[in-house]
Amino acid sequence: MVDLSVRVGTVELRNPVMLASGTCGFGRELSEYLDFSGVGGICSKGLTLLAREGNPGCRAAETSSGMLNSVGLQNPGLSAFLEKELPFMQGLGTKVIVNVAGHCTEDYQKMVERLGAPECAVAALELNLSCPNVKEGCMTIGATAEGVYDMLRAVRGLTDKPLWVKLTPNVTSITETALAAQEAGGDAVVLINTLMGMAIDIKTRRPVLGNNTGGLSGPAIKPVALRMISECFRVLSIPIVGVGGIMNASDVIEFMLAGAAAVEVGTASLLHPAICAKIVEELQIYADGNKIDKISALTGDLRLW
Amino acid sequence: MEYEAALVGKKMLGKGNALLTFACESIARRAQPGQFINLSCRYFLKRPLGICTVDETAGTFCVGVREVGAGTRDILQARIGEIFSVLGPLGNGFSFEGVSKIIAVGGGTGIYPLFFALEKAAELGIPAICVNGFRSGADAFLLDECEKMAGKAIFSTDTGDFGMKGNVIDSLETLSRNDWEGAAVFTVGPEIMMIKVSEWAAQKGLSCQVSLEKRMACGIGICLVCVCKVRSSEEGVPFHHVRCCREGPVMNAAEVVW
Repeated sequence: MVDLSVRVGTVELRNPVMLASGTCGFGRELSEYLDFSGVGGICSKGLTLLAREGNPGCRAAETSSGMLNSVGLQNPGLSAFLEKELPFMQGLGTKVIVNVAGHCTEDYQKMVERLGAPECAVAALELNLSCPNVKEGCMTIGATAEGVYDMLRAVRGLTDKPLWVKLTPNVTSITETALAAQEAGGDAVVLINTLMGMAIDIKTRRPVLGNNTGGLSGPAIKPVALRMISECFRVLSIPIVGVGGIMNASDVIEFMLAGAAAVEVGTASLLHPAICAKIVEELQIYADGNKIDKISALTGDLRLW
Repeated sequence: MEYEAALVGKKMLGKGNALLTFACESIARRAQPGQFINLSCRYFLKRPLGICTVDETAGTFCVGVREVGAGTRDILQARIGEIFSVLGPLGNGFSFEGVSKIIAVGGGTGIYPLFFALEKAAELGIPAICVNGFRSGADAFLLDECEKMAGKAIFSTDTGDFGMKGNVIDSLETLSRNDWEGAAVFTVGPEIMMIKVSEWAAQKGLSCQVSLEKRMACGIGICLVCVCKVRSSEEGVPFHHVRCCREGPVMNAAEVVW
């Protein structure tokens, strides 16, 4: 029997397949379709200190092999999350990772303090420095190495819990921002959030999305994610969590070979709500068929030309 | 559950419209008028389609499809026997609670989900009036079927080449007090039409349920792309976003912020 367990730093996961933030809510709706006790973990919808209604107008556009979204972090806010959603998530039987977003440093600090307290039963915090759909915070912070470094320094001392830093691919050099996260005390980097894009309606001559631009996700961005993970794996000493267009077990293997210790599955859940369970099953079959004893041995086992 | 459902029937209606029947007992057994399914297509996202009728004995459900782009074109070109991946029945349908009479007002393809509501009304012994507007006679479908289910049916077209010339409001204005008094209005169609219909209903003091249509992705409430605005009870808060796929698609018109 193959060992599917992996570690992201100190966080042990029963298998490398987690549900990515923004495509699984807080697990409530998906629990009607998916048994969470079979997956590695769940990353909550991006949370902000106060509730947000998100962006107006059309929020999605289909693209070739993917989609654009401009949801804009619609969420119930920290208090409602702690009261109603976190207890539910803790009952899912899997590792809970909370995705933390904010407008400014103080927002992130307050949230990290509260969610990163020892008594708060979350496995790790995923710092969202990469959402492209809000005017302040998130990607505006994660767009530069200095921004990433300063934010991590500002929150690192406030918690002993692992801080995973979700980075944006919308940068010139992903290794610079990833290294900044590592130097400032990040425990892992999560690569990649969505790529900024646009869709145009030729009848109205206006952008399809009410926010004009949105974040591209799905298989369309997988090659970009693989390239960035591979680049970062060669310079980082902290683990990488891979995300971006994973649809099946073979994609997971590619991400692990490129350097991911674990992965998050996002947009695929919007198409098939139980896909993560299927991917875990396929991984098992792949490992059995390829005489792999321990799936974690795949991480970074890519031989470049 | 996500189901595998085979296409078992296809009735082309003309002008890029068709009724497609799929075999899926579980959906056939549970579907309610106003609910929808999310159907796989060869592009990327699934396509949300309103349920038009079910046959519980045969274990099939039927959706009306109009070609609006590459995805629906692909679905319409499917052959009998082709297997689709389908989620459903999804969302909240029309509520018949306390309803003793309905006026079903449809615009264009809104007639597909409304037909299911007319069927249910007939089954419950609730009198129904069907009012449907189309662009032209060539765009008008399911007419005989609706006439059979409703006690009274009024069809209108923008062009006037079939039925009354005018829109659904013109048709509604022809109803007598006896027709509309005490009725619940169910409406499905273009947003501008539903706004006018809900205003007409409010003027008459009638309740109105509207079926909202927004661009969707997951259809099950996890991606938050299909939100619509509803009135908020909190002071100083103009509206809240709720999910069309989960809290809707059928909403009480009085709660919707258009």
